Amino acid sequence: MRVSMLMTGLGTGLAVAVATGLAAPAATAQTAEVLHWWTSGGESAALGEVRSAFTARGGTWNDTPIAGGANARAAAVNRMIGNDAPAIFQFSIGEQLKELAAQGFVGDVQEVAAAGGWDAVLPPLIARIAKEDGKYIAAPLNIHGENWMFYNTAVLEKAGVAVPKTWPEFLEAAGRLKAAGVTPIALGGQPWQERVLFNTVLLGVGGREHYAKVYGDLDEAAMESDAMLEAFSTFAALRGFVDEGSPGRRWNEATAMLMRGDAAFQFTGDWAKGELVAAGIEPGTAVGCMLAPAKDAAYIMAVDAFSFGATSDPQVKAAQKLMAEVIMDPQVQIAFNRRKGSIPVRTDVTDPGFDSCAKLAIATIKDPATHLVSTGLFGVSSAVSGAIDDAISQFWNSPSMTPEQGRSLFVQTIGDAR
Amino acid sequence: MSHAEQSRPAILMADGGAPAVRPRWRLAPLTAARIALIPAAVITIVCFYAFIVWTFVISLTRSRLLPVYDFVGFDQYRRLFASARWWTAMENLAIHGTLFIAGCTVAGYALAIMIDRGVRAEGFFRTVFMLPLSMSFIVTGLIWQWMLNPVFGIQDAVRDLGWEGFVFNWIVQPDRAIYTLAIAGIWQQVGLCMALFLAGLRGVDPNVWKAARIDGIPTWRVYTDIVTPMLRPVFFTVFVLLSALVMKSFDLVVALTGGGPGFASDLPARFVVDHILNRQELGLGAAGAFMMLCTVVAVIGPYLYREIHKSRGAR
Repeated sequence: MRVSMLMTGLGTGLAVAVATGLAAPAATAQTAEVLHWWTSGGESAALGEVRSAFTARGGTWNDTPIAGGANARAAAVNRMIGNDAPAIFQFSIGEQLKELAAQGFVGDVQEVAAAGGWDAVLPPLIARIAKEDGKYIAAPLNIHGENWMFYNTAVLEKAGVAVPKTWPEFLEAAGRLKAAGVTPIALGGQPWQERVLFNTVLLGVGGREHYAKVYGDLDEAAMESDAMLEAFSTFAALRGFVDEGSPGRRWNEATAMLMRGDAAFQFTGDWAKGELVAAGIEPGTAVGCMLAPAKDAAYIMAVDAFSFGATSDPQVKAAQKLMAEVIMDPQVQIAFNRRKGSIPVRTDVTDPGFDSCAKLAIATIKDPATHLVSTGLFGVSSAVSGAIDDAISQFWNSPSMTPEQGRSLFVQTIGDAR
Repeated sequence: MSHAEQSRPAILMADGGAPAVRPRWRLAPLTAARIALIPAAVITIVCFYAFIVWTFVISLTRSRLLPVYDFVGFDQYRRLFASARWWTAMENLAIHGTLFIAGCTVAGYALAIMIDRGVRAEGFFRTVFMLPLSMSFIVTGLIWQWMLNPVFGIQDAVRDLGWEGFVFNWIVQPDRAIYTLAIAGIWQQVGLCMALFLAGLRGVDPNVWKAARIDGIPTWRVYTDIVTPMLRPVFFTVFVLLSALVMKSFDLVVALTGGGPGFASDLPARFVVDHILNRQELGLGAAGAFMMLCTVVAVIGPYLYREIHKSRGAR
């Protein structure tokens, strides 16, 4: 029965597609379907800024929202294989997109990029990953940072604990908080969240050069180094500072613990600011934000981008060009990112309206040496990305595993996946 | 024989109310039935067997994001067998499958007997046990996720009642989480088993009971020695139904534990979906899917063969 419903659904979908295709007058030149996974309130409001700019310039936006990044990516890929690529689709830039482009499924927007001088304004790391064969195959929209440390100001004050600058300081502070009856770390116990915490520790303990070697080059010598061992020891020490309810918890529930004062710290990306704003808290006040303790300034970047299905239809191409221009428009970048909680991908955009956390991020990424890849689908292939999550999650959830075992598990799991 | 007789009127009706005009030729009823089955057969062969073959072919290739026909032999299987996560998933399947099937069968049969013994307010109990069945595994998973959560679930509730030292935190224990899956699964499916067994029990000839009473056989002996062997086909049906549920268990684990902590409660179906959809490891996922099929064939195949063989022999 399900199959028959699906078939009916497909049939109706086709009928509608054909009907609209026939009915669409040639006048609405720049009509484009936009497939994306921004379905939550804040996300869709942020995307609304892009949409209204697109519409204001004469484009017609056919919305195809699909909840869940993985689902939306799968849907986009399936449609490409079925020769019905969406005109514009949200996708993570990195190895997957390059593979699609190499198979001829993705068009480039090099013309717009050259005219708009993207090379000059984009962080070099992002520019490199967004290009295939020297041409831009995606228009990056924003930068999320993953190595943030959010903390409940009142809880820290009450326990007489200062915001830690190094990991040893953090461990000491966490011990005191635990003794005072507060959960030191609100951790969402899902593999990707455990990975965000680990990568933050790895960056803090090993430094950004080490991080770049491990994840940027998948360098085995770096993975087997003492710095890696130290990262695993520190990570293991954090196991004791997480409450019993952590496994399976979603990230926003962890942020809620932080806001309620049940927990003192949360290590997560700056998407947490969206939850703060929704709860009426200005980021940087009752809940403070700092880049997590680290040897040197660095920013682990996760980038949202839109890409363009290969097409020979000049009208669709025009719409794709328009979208690329709109995405990189400084005003759109400001409006979008203020709602999304991320920062503009253009390094030449500053705005007094950003919150203090965003300002810190913008100041940090002025130096290209601070730019690092997130292992969540940005820069590394998804097989390796998944292997990293598996290894870290297995280590974190096996309290009997020693740091040495963790390190060799990490090396072996990544080796099997590449 | 009786089949042929039944299908004849259907053919006549197909002639469309003009019985005077007789077709020159007429298909033998069996042939007509075969022709009628062709669409179903084609759909089955294409959608089922062809995709099994396709999955196997893909599992022999290097495919990652897209299907590419770049054959690498059994490389994906080598990777699969080297994966700790896969073996955890298979082990979990064995644990979950055994507990789930045994638990549902035993509890379902016990409930059915209880109701069959003429419990008061039978309708009420039947509804109570059948109600969970109307929920999807996703809802079941969510409900049990809340109940099992150590911070605000059963553990917390019992502690609030005064038993401060009460511990029931299986869902966050990597070596116990898989058992919570069985608990939630049994809770949901026990009603179905009960209904099937109850139907079976009601189908038992009342004379059997009368005879047993005259012979003075205790009730429990009637159940163990006479009624239960008579219900063999029902047990078989329940076993096959539950086995199918176990193999495709996916939504329950996604909603209940998310495969966690870590991947301690992962199941093969989730492993496969995760690798095909999220990780763009089409080849590896296909290899996993094919191994699942092999597991089904290995476990159910001989049993199915024996049962079918036996029933044919009996006829």
